[in-house]
Amino acid sequence: MEDFLNRLKQKVEIREQIKQRDDLYFITIKKEQTELVLRYIKDNEKFKHLSFMQAVDYLDDSKFMLIYMLYSFSRKVSLGVSVFIDRKEAIMTSMHNIWPHLWQYQREIKEMYGIDFPSSPRVNEDFILESWDNMPPMRRDFDTLKYSEETYYQRPGRKTNDPKEYMRKKLYNDFVKTPKLRDDK
Amino acid sequence: MSLKDVLSPFKVWERAARKPWTVKNPIDERKGSANYRGFHKNDLEKCIGCGTCEDICQNLAIDLVPVENVETNMGDSGLRPMIDYGRCCWCALCVDVCPTGSLNMSNEYNWIEEEAEGFRFIPGADKKSWDDSDKGYHQSDDIQLIDPARIVMEELEAEERKSTFVEMVKGYSKEKALLEAERCLECGICVARCPAHMDIPEYIKAIREDDIELAVKILYETNPFSASCGRICTHSCEEVCALAHNGEPIAIRWLKRYIMDQVTPDQIKEIITNNIQVNNKKIAIIGAGPGGLSAAYYLRLLGYEISVYESKTKGGGMLRYGIPEYRLPYDQLDKDIDYIASLGVQINYGKEIGKDLSFDELYGNFDAIYFSIGLEKPTSLRCVGEDLDSVVAGVDFLRDITDGKRPDIGNDVVVIGGGNVAMDVARTSIRLGANVTVLYRRRIEDMPADLEEITEAQEENVIFNPQSLQTKIEKAKSGRLLLQWNNMKMVEDPEGDRPKPIPIEGDLESKEFDTIFSAIGQKADLSFISEKYEEKMKFKWGKAVTNQFGQTDIPKVFAGGDVKNWTADAVSAIADGHSAAKGIDEFLQKR
Amino acid sequence: MKEISKSKYKNYVADRSKYPLLKDGKPEFDLNSHMFTKIWQGPQHPGVTGNMSLELVINGDEVIDCKTHVGYLHRAFEKLMERRKFMQCFPIVCRICVPEPDTNEYCFSAGIEELAGIDIPEKAKWIRTLNLEMSRVASFLMWIGGQAGSLGMGIIGQWTVTMRDFWLDLFEEMSGGRIYHMYMIPGGVRKDLPEGFELRVKKVIKQTRELLVDIEKSFLNNAITKSRLQGLGFIPPEMVEEYGIVGPTARASGKPFDVRQNNPYLVYDQLVMKMITSDVGDAYARTLVRFAETILSIDLIEQIMHKMPKTGKIQAKIPNVLNWKIPAGQTYIKAESTRGEHGFYIITDGSKYPRRIFVRGASYTHAISVLEKLAVNISISDTAALMVSLHTCPPEIER
Repeated sequence: MEDFLNRLKQKVEIREQIKQRDDLYFITIKKEQTELVLRYIKDNEKFKHLSFMQAVDYLDDSKFMLIYMLYSFSRKVSLGVSVFIDRKEAIMTSMHNIWPHLWQYQREIKEMYGIDFPSSPRVNEDFILESWDNMPPMRRDFDTLKYSEETYYQRPGRKTNDPKEYMRKKLYNDFVKTPKLRDDK
Repeated sequence: MSLKDVLSPFKVWERAARKPWTVKNPIDERKGSANYRGFHKNDLEKCIGCGTCEDICQNLAIDLVPVENVETNMGDSGLRPMIDYGRCCWCALCVDVCPTGSLNMSNEYNWIEEEAEGFRFIPGADKKSWDDSDKGYHQSDDIQLIDPARIVMEELEAEERKSTFVEMVKGYSKEKALLEAERCLECGICVARCPAHMDIPEYIKAIREDDIELAVKILYETNPFSASCGRICTHSCEEVCALAHNGEPIAIRWLKRYIMDQVTPDQIKEIITNNIQVNNKKIAIIGAGPGGLSAAYYLRLLGYEISVYESKTKGGGMLRYGIPEYRLPYDQLDKDIDYIASLGVQINYGKEIGKDLSFDELYGNFDAIYFSIGLEKPTSLRCVGEDLDSVVAGVDFLRDITDGKRPDIGNDVVVIGGGNVAMDVARTSIRLGANVTVLYRRRIEDMPADLEEITEAQEENVIFNPQSLQTKIEKAKSGRLLLQWNNMKMVEDPEGDRPKPIPIEGDLESKEFDTIFSAIGQKADLSFISEKYEEKMKFKWGKAVTNQFGQTDIPKVFAGGDVKNWTADAVSAIADGHSAAKGIDEFLQKR
Repeated sequence: MKEISKSKYKNYVADRSKYPLLKDGKPEFDLNSHMFTKIWQGPQHPGVTGNMSLELVINGDEVIDCKTHVGYLHRAFEKLMERRKFMQCFPIVCRICVPEPDTNEYCFSAGIEELAGIDIPEKAKWIRTLNLEMSRVASFLMWIGGQAGSLGMGIIGQWTVTMRDFWLDLFEEMSGGRIYHMYMIPGGVRKDLPEGFELRVKKVIKQTRELLVDIEKSFLNNAITKSRLQGLGFIPPEMVEEYGIVGPTARASGKPFDVRQNNPYLVYDQLVMKMITSDVGDAYARTLVRFAETILSIDLIEQIMHKMPKTGKIQAKIPNVLNWKIPAGQTYIKAESTRGEHGFYIITDGSKYPRRIFVRGASYTHAISVLEKLAVNISISDTAALMVSLHTCPPEIER
């Protein structure tokens, strides 16, 4: 496995390399070299099986991470290949020519994260969310709680108490108010 | 495909003759298994309404609601979980996480109700047929979702500390403090119990988030003596900690200490910046103990000009002169006092009211007076010979030690009493190299001293001689003192109070000692108040009678601390100072 | 273990002569030509495995084009978990798959443990393995019923679902829940096995074995089954890797891919097991492989009950779950479910909440890319049988 990674390093830039377990490695590569790397390791290094492709939102860094999880049956090792793309310009080259089932993931990611894969088959078809008119819901800035409060009917008559506050009211409500030294958050 | 494949399926015709698998009457014949996660049941007596079940519930199915016949008290919020079965997913995390183990599940799974609202219920309070079922998913010791064991605090070994006044508790390292803070459930039950109502869950949370600045700010909202309290507080908060029910409570006191250990006096001044709007009203405070200085702190924040009068040469009151250095190092106390002084509070040391200045003068010159003079006058031993030399009041001895004196107490000393002062005197004497006996009239478990002080004293080889009442002290031939005591027996009280000690007739013992310390209690020395004012103020059992803000019957005069409250500990004095500040402010605003 | 014989249908290739011309990889047909009908199979069709539907274009009774539609049960588990503390995710994960929730529980727990650096006790590992194999049996039993039902043999479904209920009784005893067991918790398992459990497992195993013999006679060695399934949905070996096909479906096409044996987890390296493969690749071969795997799982359960340590801790120490923070990291944990490689990809960022949890299920490709390809040119009456032979499970698509 190390040999393979060294071979790969001579060909392309590997920005980060993590060995998580004996049978699980992660590498981060440049966006421009994704197709090159994926094709190379699929055809020449026997990472033929694509377990999945997914996106991760790094809202704080304004980036999306795309990860392609590959598996080699001969090496019995999983390899996660990740690429960072700009969150504002969320476009990625489609890899559906490498694995015939990859278009599904790209279609889902387009819908859930709003990352576009031009030329990927059926990428603009609704996958899970038909007639969804909000922002792509898997993005970190989509507030599920707010959405559900606005969209769904909440059961009336529910009220809870915070033990600390409740005990203050019951037991020492007339104790002096303390000066506020911390900032309100 | 062959003929065999056509015929083969017919071989199972015989199944038609077999007994069916169906259960005829499933409701009666098919009960849930012994471990089934069925409907909830709650032991209302055990439940303390801490809301941990509400916190862990990922479906937001649980609300905490008041319940009839369940009173709110110090260790119980009086709230009980109400579960919405429209949301519950029966994962039983609420059962696993319950710190008291009151919430469990039965193996019942049939429930028919006409109204959907009926499926919102308070287990235990709304009577159900499964309340008494002993089957179903119960909390077990096999898994622990909350950590019942406290992070061990490092201390000096008993042998080592017997010869030194160096602080015995070493304090948490950052790593340990974070781990200990992680145990907190943030229920907030402790806040009510704390006399000063410190926001304990919030400062523990700040530790967890490693935000020491915020933590210090939270501490200073309710307690300007946090460095001291972080060491010697009576920590009654820990008694009601939700974790104490099935494990060890959070080390709230040590965590407070951890916060204050992280900051230098200068840093405190940087962190807590006050914008004090000075007004021209003047307030006199008698006594620079925790009560007086905390009143000074809060009044100063409100802009008053404060003059504190202290008869001794240093501030801190009983914190300095009553508590030995190995429990509360003086620099930590100075840290607290320095900050208060830095706000512009004027502290006049060595000024005794009634001697250097008269009470009348203060009354005339100031807009209000607050006295928090503590209890310094030792109570009498009430036995023959207590006036002899070498019969020393424990508090006087401790004060001498603080002043740097190392009096000659001889080889064998006895301490009469069972409170914290007695323990401090005994342990200080050990550090001076003496053999120490503690004489107490009841049993060890009846001692008012903190349990840990008793245990630590035992570790340091203090000999306990309980159920003994001093009867006589006389000069022995050797020149030492002969103490005679009567052994006592414990008699059950018919009214159900704690057992009473009764002398066993004729069962007398005696032993020679070099020094005898009396530490059976102190009372306030009220001689500084001139008669004409003392008459107007009310005192009951030696304690000043005030309204809840510390105001005495003379509107201008306020009192607090040990001279007023019955808990007589530092944190109560601080709380008194805080409320008196409020009372004084209101009184002066109104005028 | 029964060897699966080669079949004369090995070189079966779909007859594509009537298939419309392909243009850019898509079939070209004109719905207005009155030669084609568009019909929907599902989501309420009894022949559809769960909540999904197939948009079929047919010509006569022949399927010309197939599109899989999902979205009927999206519960956004992955998104929900981003808002929940680690322990609060645990009641959610099992709900991703109804017939076989334990694989999810295992992958989630193992991932959290790996990222938090927790080693679970030996006994917990054995109990987890037992749990996983039991859930495989329960899931396979349901599948046998589905496969038989898709061919109109409803009674076999009744037998197997009843038998599955006996396995669920065991689960109920072990974990307190019949369907959603919520048993494997990060750190170990929640309860020790109850007393006398082994005996009751043996009893159910005996019943199951008896039933499986009957099913073999009545369903596998059945002229109808053979004529309907042989040659249906042929997957050539070279398609397996290209389409990410895993599990029994891959093994029936001659590819020995089994996570339990390729990358052993828990205690699988201490169990004796054989790779069950067939090189035929049609729906009947998949049926035989799954059937043989049901028996294999029962064998494994017997091995586990025999070798399992009788005493020991079942839970490692974990921090207070309300304040549990896990250092930043990422991992991918996979396990063999009845449908194949099932995995959890977990990213943590040092906070109390997971940054992202992705659930990889075998059906993601099986039910869409693979099914859409295989459904072409078969009879409309065979679509249900084809779907079940791929053992598709829509919750794995919509997590």
